[in-house]
Amino acid sequence: MTAPLLEVTDLRTHFFTRAGIARAVDGVSFSLAPGEILGLVGESGSGKSVTGFSLIGLVDPPGRIAGGSIRFDGQELVGLSEARMRAIRGKRIAMVFQDPQATLNPVLTIGTQMALALQAHRQAHGRVTDRAAAERAGAMLTRVGIPEAATRLNNYPHEFSGGMRQRVAIAMALLNGPELIVADEPTTALDVSIQAQILAEMKSIARDSGTALIWISHDLATVSSLADRVLVMYAGRIVESGPVGAVLRAPLHPYTRGLLDSLPAMAQPGQRLAQIPGSAPSLLALPAGCPFAPRCAHADAACTTPPPRIDRPGRQALCHHPLDAAA
Amino acid sequence: MTDIVASNPHGPCIVAPEARGPCIIATSLTRRFDPHLSIGDRIAAAFGAPVETRAVRAVTDVSFTIHRNETLGLVGESGCGKSTLGRLVAGILGPTSGDIRLEGQPVMRRGRKTTTRIQTVFQDPFASLNPRRRIDATISEGPIAHGLITRAQAPAFVADWLARVGLDPAVATRFPHQFSGGQRQRVAIARALAMKPDILVCDEPVASLDVSIQAQVLNLFLDLRAALGLTCLFISHDLSVVRHVSDRVAIMYLGRIVEIGPAAQVYTTPRHPYTQGLLDSVPKLRLDADAVSFHPIAGELPSPLSPPPGCAFHPRCPRATELCRRERPKLAPHGASEVACHHA
Ligand SMILES: Nc1ncnc2c1ncn2[C@@H]1O[C@H](COP(=O)(O)OP(=O)(O)OP(=O)(O)O)[C@@H](O)[C@H]1O
Ligand SMILES: Nc1ncnc2c1ncn2[C@@H]1O[C@H](COP(=O)(O)OP(=O)(O)O)[C@@H](O)[C@H]1O
Ligand code: SF4
Ligand code: SF4
Ligand SMILES: [Mg+2]
Ligand SMILES: [Mg+2]
Repeated sequence: MTAPLLEVTDLRTHFFTRAGIARAVDGVSFSLAPGEILGLVGESGSGKSVTGFSLIGLVDPPGRIAGGSIRFDGQELVGLSEARMRAIRGKRIAMVFQDPQATLNPVLTIGTQMALALQAHRQAHGRVTDRAAAERAGAMLTRVGIPEAATRLNNYPHEFSGGMRQRVAIAMALLNGPELIVADEPTTALDVSIQAQILAEMKSIARDSGTALIWISHDLATVSSLADRVLVMYAGRIVESGPVGAVLRAPLHPYTRGLLDSLPAMAQPGQRLAQIPGSAPSLLALPAGCPFAPRCAHADAACTTPPPRIDRPGRQALCHHPLDAAA
Repeated sequence: MTDIVASNPHGPCIVAPEARGPCIIATSLTRRFDPHLSIGDRIAAAFGAPVETRAVRAVTDVSFTIHRNETLGLVGESGCGKSTLGRLVAGILGPTSGDIRLEGQPVMRRGRKTTTRIQTVFQDPFASLNPRRRIDATISEGPIAHGLITRAQAPAFVADWLARVGLDPAVATRFPHQFSGGQRQRVAIARALAMKPDILVCDEPVASLDVSIQAQVLNLFLDLRAALGLTCLFISHDLSVVRHVSDRVAIMYLGRIVEIGPAAQVYTTPRHPYTQGLLDSVPKLRLDADAVSFHPIAGELPSPLSPPPGCAFHPRCPRATELCRRERPKLAPHGASEVACHHA
């Protein structure tokens, strides 16, 4: 067994707002091996992005990591100084956002931005020559499927289509050969055909370079075709985790089951879909016990107390009545 | 929040759509958007400066029929012209040429919509609902203006519609920002249906919603469609959503319909290489470990400013031949479908 690259234990990231404490991430634990692809799914507001931002030390006030540990390659990241975090972020851990605009500077050419990103992490080995930077940048653009990469380096972000811009953002993330990429819904805004190209590229990058990948998405189908393992998040907690095929074939948690069943692909055309009643709860007013209880068909009196952690080989769930228990 | 509308009592449609007669007929619809050039731009262009003077051909020579009580699904990639076609059908936008008729009558005359029988539901209910207007006013203003109800009837009318879309009538005096995305979409559906339309154009009605909320809104749509006998044009980039709600499906590429036919046939035996590529590129729920669940289409979507000559799909098509580069294929019957491809 390879040592985990990333080990997150009981991570708690809270937002201390005037209206109360929003426990956006509340006791999240998982680990990730080199080259592994982990899918993180859940409805909007469930805490996926905040989990991602916590990993790269980019939680803004009023939020902060209120507890837990993030060990990356043996090093504790929680409590690390911003200076030392900056040496890791962008170099050893890179992030790709849903909106490539967040990564790309509109007033610099792609080539300039990529050279700057390279320089930022190469001080130790002296300056990278402009030639070498351009070569490496061009190679990365080619890697993510951008034709005529050498000439495209002279283009500004607005001269690329949405799908191309996202690929440029991914190329930037790859520049310094990171060991971990956190990708937050990078294909959600893109067309299916472009999404498929990017998924295929990400898959081969993880396979060929041994880069570990955390793929944040609300789309179960995308995650099922990309990830090795999946984490299902609800109201700040991981309610189910395990190998993606096993989890989707036979979910342990009623929420996972509900998410799957509400997909049109799971129903006969024209028939009503199985729907989860209600909507995601406010983090400021979570029910006592299981946060899914108000929407859960299996809820009973036991569910007003915190659900226990259910362990199955390679899998876990937080539920009083896991679906593999005989009814 | 629960649906109070009874589930679809009719089940899937039994009568073949063709047997119900045409409702909407679009003939050679074309819509171009000319660039708005300033005087400076025009002078610069005249001197050969790189000013964009070409028109966007958003929809080109599109003809189709929607039968009564049928839902026609419309899919295609971003920018292919779906929303433009939807706005043409709804009479919100006039065609550059061609026409669109509802039971023989033009939907637009002299640049004005002629009927209230067609209503629309858009993707982003936040943008389409007036943020400063309480939702009771939003729902009742159209019906009052068109004499469907009197002002005195409005409160009961609004309460009834809110209940039908699964909202508590007590929320009538709230503003749009006081609702979640899914609830706002219910308000938008209530507003459209309160006009008692026969035809509903839905442009990406569930695109911005979470999976569980999407299922709730799709169920509401299915229930109301059956209860009110609606005829629909349903636009989405999500192939599985379109498959779920449509009787027939049209696939668009760069402003043209390349394949149109019964949903089951288009999805199980697609004939056009683009339809095949599109279906293959969608990641499917992969329940067994090894199956590869998607294959990207090669290449990029060309600009609608300069669609390739001949068949617009030829630069990306694995079956392209010399003929395809030269001559544009016309829609021709293939079984119950129509396909625009030289080698279908
Ligand atoms: N008012 C307008 N002025 C200029 N160009 C326009 C206008 N409306 C649409 N277009 C152009 O027409 C083409 C088709 O646009 P349309 O909005 O119909 O696409 P769509 O298929 O609905 O895309 P999406 O999936 O992104 O909603 C695009 O190239 C678009 O930029
Ligand atoms: N700056 C902030 N201030 C207060 N609450 C926040 C802030 N950022 C995120 N949150 C809250 O944290 C929760 C999780 O958010 P997020 O991780 O963005 O969800 P997801 O990515 O799963 O959609 C949400 O309830 C959100 O409102
Ligand atoms: S703990 Fe109870 S309420 Fe929560 S998911 Fe399990 S059965 Fe449902
Ligand atoms: S006409 Fe030719 S290029 Fe166009 S889709 Fe058919 S085979 Fe491909
Ligand atoms: Mg997010
Ligand atoms: Mg559109």
